[in-house]
Amino acid sequence: MDEGTVRHAMRQRLNGYSGEGTFNVRNQTVKAAAVVAAGLLVLSACSTNKDEGAPAGGGETQSCDTSKGTLVLGVITPLSGELSALGLGIRNSADLAVKQANEKCTVEGYKLALQPEDDQRNPQVGAQAATKLASTPNVIGVVSTLNSNVSQSVQPILDQAGIVQISPANTNDTLTKGEDFLNNPKRPYKTYFRTCTVDSLQGPFAANYLVEKAGKKKIAIVTNGLTYGEGLANEFTKQAEAKGAQIVTRQKVGEKDTDFSGVIASIKPFAPDAVYWGGEYPQGGPLSKQLASAGLNVPVMGGDGIYDDKFISLGGKDSDLATSVGAPTEELPSAKAFVDAYDKGGFSDAFAAYGAFAYDAANAIIASVGKVVNGKEWSDSMREDLVKNVGEYSADGATGKVAFDEFGDSTNKVLTIYQVTGGKWESVETGEFEG
Amino acid sequence: MTTLLQQIANGLVLGATIGLIALGYTMVYGIIQLINFAHGEVFMVGAFGGLAVYRWVLPEDIRDDWYISLPAMLVGGVIIAIVVAVLMERLAYRPLRNAPRLAPLITALGVSVALQEAVRLWFPDATSAQAFPRVFVDAQIDIGPIAISASQLLLIVVSIVLAVLLQLYISKSRMGRAMRATSMDRDTARLMGVNPDRVIVLTFVLGAALAGVAGVLYGSNINLIANDIGFQNGIFAFTAAVLGGIGSLRGAVIGAFIIGLIKTLGGQYLPGGTDYDYVWIFVVLILVLVFRPQGLFGEVERMRA
Amino acid sequence: MSKLSAWVPAALARPFTAVGGVLFLLAAMLPWATFLLNDGAYPEKATLQFFDAPFELTGFRWHLLLFGAAAIVITFVPLPGKARVLRALGWGGLIIGLVGAIFIASEGGGLGAITAADGNTALGSIVALLGGIVLVLGATATGIEDLPHWPTRLGSSPIQQRLTAYVVLIVAFAGVLWLVSATLTAGGIGGAAFPYAGPIFLAYLGFAGGLLAALHGVGLARWISQLSEEHRAFSIVVLLACACALPFTEAGSQYWMQVAATIGVYAATAIGLNIVVGLAGLLDLGYVAFLGIGAFVAANLSGAAASSLGWDLPFPLAALIAAVVAGIFGAIVGSPTLRVRGDYLAIVTLAFGEIFYRSSQNNIGDLTGGSNSIPGIPPVTMFGTPFNEPFTLFGTELPTGVLYYFLIVVIVAIIMAVFANLKNSRIGRAWIAVREDEDAARAMGIRTGQVKILAFLVGAMLAGLAGAVFVHKLGTASYSSFQFLESVTLLAAVILGGMGTIPGAVLGASLLFVLPEKLREFDDYRLLVFGLALVFIMRFRPQGLVPDRIRRAEFAGETAEGKPIEEVEEQVVLEHEQAEHEAPSAPKEGKA
Repeated sequence: MDEGTVRHAMRQRLNGYSGEGTFNVRNQTVKAAAVVAAGLLVLSACSTNKDEGAPAGGGETQSCDTSKGTLVLGVITPLSGELSALGLGIRNSADLAVKQANEKCTVEGYKLALQPEDDQRNPQVGAQAATKLASTPNVIGVVSTLNSNVSQSVQPILDQAGIVQISPANTNDTLTKGEDFLNNPKRPYKTYFRTCTVDSLQGPFAANYLVEKAGKKKIAIVTNGLTYGEGLANEFTKQAEAKGAQIVTRQKVGEKDTDFSGVIASIKPFAPDAVYWGGEYPQGGPLSKQLASAGLNVPVMGGDGIYDDKFISLGGKDSDLATSVGAPTEELPSAKAFVDAYDKGGFSDAFAAYGAFAYDAANAIIASVGKVVNGKEWSDSMREDLVKNVGEYSADGATGKVAFDEFGDSTNKVLTIYQVTGGKWESVETGEFEG
Repeated sequence: MTTLLQQIANGLVLGATIGLIALGYTMVYGIIQLINFAHGEVFMVGAFGGLAVYRWVLPEDIRDDWYISLPAMLVGGVIIAIVVAVLMERLAYRPLRNAPRLAPLITALGVSVALQEAVRLWFPDATSAQAFPRVFVDAQIDIGPIAISASQLLLIVVSIVLAVLLQLYISKSRMGRAMRATSMDRDTARLMGVNPDRVIVLTFVLGAALAGVAGVLYGSNINLIANDIGFQNGIFAFTAAVLGGIGSLRGAVIGAFIIGLIKTLGGQYLPGGTDYDYVWIFVVLILVLVFRPQGLFGEVERMRA
Repeated sequence: MSKLSAWVPAALARPFTAVGGVLFLLAAMLPWATFLLNDGAYPEKATLQFFDAPFELTGFRWHLLLFGAAAIVITFVPLPGKARVLRALGWGGLIIGLVGAIFIASEGGGLGAITAADGNTALGSIVALLGGIVLVLGATATGIEDLPHWPTRLGSSPIQQRLTAYVVLIVAFAGVLWLVSATLTAGGIGGAAFPYAGPIFLAYLGFAGGLLAALHGVGLARWISQLSEEHRAFSIVVLLACACALPFTEAGSQYWMQVAATIGVYAATAIGLNIVVGLAGLLDLGYVAFLGIGAFVAANLSGAAASSLGWDLPFPLAALIAAVVAGIFGAIVGSPTLRVRGDYLAIVTLAFGEIFYRSSQNNIGDLTGGSNSIPGIPPVTMFGTPFNEPFTLFGTELPTGVLYYFLIVVIVAIIMAVFANLKNSRIGRAWIAVREDEDAARAMGIRTGQVKILAFLVGAMLAGLAGAVFVHKLGTASYSSFQFLESVTLLAAVILGGMGTIPGAVLGASLLFVLPEKLREFDDYRLLVFGLALVFIMRFRPQGLVPDRIRRAEFAGETAEGKPIEEVEEQVVLEHEQAEHEAPSAPKEGKA
């Protein structure tokens, strides 16, 4: 290439910096634009979802007086991540309660709205969600949380704002009775209630069954270190040893671990005839399967944290056991209305282990708000009154009789043992723990 | 004693998975001096690819015949891993070939996050861990006092075989020579007629293929995959690559087995137990980087800013 | 942008921009949705009405009206930077239209929602889109001129100059205050009670972005920054006053104060990271560990019931101890860097970050609460007032959380002062030297090892301080707040905002922590967008939004004045050739 060509090329390039759009390019793009515009016009003639858009909500609210605005019921549970199956069940059940309340105009002058917040089973995210709800105006109460350790972060924040909190699933005793719950129970937060029962009943109930009925005498315990699992395992241990079983070893895995080969290798030498798992199903299932693969084909027993179909699909095997709070929902007559309404509600997820409890919790709050508001204007100063009313609430709900004792615990102390049979959970025994 | 042997076996299984991933890391770093943070995600994508084949491509009745589904899943996982890796190279890394070092690093982080999220959002139901079928003989082999499952053994064997094959390919074939030349001096290699872009793509492809295999076999072993398995295993793999010496294939594999053993034995015998097994690996990483950055088999690093 | 100017001949520029403005006016009046959406009526009366009261428009319609009127007026009025202004207005309106169109169409179930369905027409969003396109095309038709320069010395005597400068600065920062307040509150608090917060906020961003770009195009932004450079002390005072005045504006509710305080914490951390990464060029991928160390130290010294240490120290002391402990760890982490560089340094810091994360997950030394974290951390109590109660100042009752906000403003101010002083000091210059070329710096006699450790130490201390405030505000110290992703986010904030500059770090932190808050509907896609954004930024604007001049040159292949290097090089070569041609007898030097 000679100088002249190079220079010419360079000059062209230099000039080209201020606009490379040549005639060709313009022509092409103009054509393309015309085609697109034509296409849009054609498309515009079709599809809207106007039918859904004419809000079904609008139809209902027209028959209720909602002139005073909207009140918000919050929900804080894991909506994403491993425990989302449980969390979504809670959210949907609370949603059902809210929808029904709007239909029946339970709260005069106001529309109720559900505000679900995802806590990702993480105390920090839960605390942020609680802070958000606490500073959002018109929040009447929060159904939360699923995990006991998340609740520990949420409780002080909601309590400071005076917002009532009812948990459908926290089972750890310290949440209502303080650190020394056996000998010196002291209620730490008077805004906190729960509709499910507690580990000091669930653990021993499991121990009674495992040791006496199933005859297991050498039990290994594995937990994931969280408040729930540790508390449950502690209560289980006390009762199991009292009934004459031997806890051969107790191991801890990380919250997110899924490879249990290390811990299984540590357990094997003790040759246990059962393993008690203090934790939830995302780890419980794989643990059960890996135990079997490693040659330890013994039943794994857990608490309400593994009572979900996903436990089985993730590795739970036949003869594994779980306890869960309350009687089986399908068997309770008072639950039938809830189950039917839930099925008709068009939710894509099942109500799972805690749906019925969440439904009752939501109704407790809603009914109390209805009483407190009673045609007046809602103001945040009514929260104290609301807490009092919730404490005095008593009704028949989807889980049986719903009422709270002086610590905020549920007066309903029924528990059920489930066993995996033929690839599904079947209830084996229902009762109350008598001590 | 049994526990010791068992934990050694466990460590070797872990090392096998990590070795396959580490090979990819070491090759890419050798060629373009990029720590491909997203390589762990390629492994994860391979695993999900295999699962996708199992769920939607294989008909229900032959699905559980492992001699059909395992190869199918491997092929599926590998293909998807390769596609993702090539796209990654083309769209994210190639434009930044001549940028200051910070840019490709951050881009790799971005790609890694984006891939994790993409799988979480668009693979059905992937917000929680997915059950992965065991597509192999469900047998347990007892070698003396230790129990090892057939699929674990498969993993070890496959990883060693693949590593050897890769080493042969790199050292004996023409393309392998081209790769080595490009990693030594890209411009001279170009003068010698090597097309660096092609070589780089090939590097990514090979790394991704190995990672894809690792993903499917990992899933088959642990029977559980989630969208975050890439990050953890990726860090281990990178540690292994560094330990063995960046740029050395042999080093990557040996380093991986060492890392696996550190995790299991450290978890068993060092204070803190299994809670701190990851910590020991990171400690090793720091020590290696500080005191012997060339690793076990690498050359002494020339000073790089 | 330069490519667009070939689309429309220059003669048509004026008609195009005028038409664009008219289209905006029209769009402001037209309905935008053909029916009530699923969650109820779209705000600003966007449905089913032809709006005939122009001065009662609110929200995005009002913004479009303003833009349209401005565009029409500016078309016919000579204005420095006219093309830039018009282009900015065009893009702003275009974004408003686009957001509205996409959201309404997707909520409404199809394009019928924004065009015509069941006898109703609602072309507002399409008209706005068209108007934006036309306006941008018209604006770029004549080519974009350089940024206008405004004189910085106004008035004859120095006193006059100073006074006018002060007045201008006060007005400018008051405007910034208003803008920040409006941005925070735009869209309202998302949630069950108001489901349209996200798109309203995005449309507002279109407006704010267009407005800012227009002001920038007129040359106002550069003028103000020059003025503030010249009168630095005063600007800082005014800025501080404005920050303290935020609670008295519309954004003064509990919710917004809490959001603002969170942003403040992350901004403080980002500035600290800026010292390590931006000034000293040490890539730190485990920085959030220092935030965490400060947090856990403060948690254990706060008297929380769940903390095993159980000490209860007054907050300033606890914060100081937290900062010092974090600083010590910073020095420890920094020490291996004496031997490690570049990528490997990044990995070493990543490893340290992960060690911290794992150890705190396992409740090391019983100090971190492990998976259950340390909940129930009492609020900061200074001068007898707990910080989470409402507070009365100058007779106005300020909501809960305002005190945290003031605290964080003070801390950010301190950190900024530290940063600015350091940057201009010997140690700051030493850091910059190390960043640019470590070997040369050492050859110049700088003790690179000490300098690097010092960078880590100072950065870690600042993070520790921020961590102490963070943990009191949140009430919980949890290991999960300090995972690798947070380090990446902080790094992204520093890079996105622009490395080496304070406004950059603050801007980056604000964007990265306010956007997820405002766009909660899109929360599911947040991380995906974040990852993709990292890729795009590194590809197209690696120097960030408010870059250091040197960084911009380094990254963007431009000279310090902003011209592409290739252009300048070719210019030089051409001139050389020219000179050659005119004096061919001079022997070649053999240089290209």
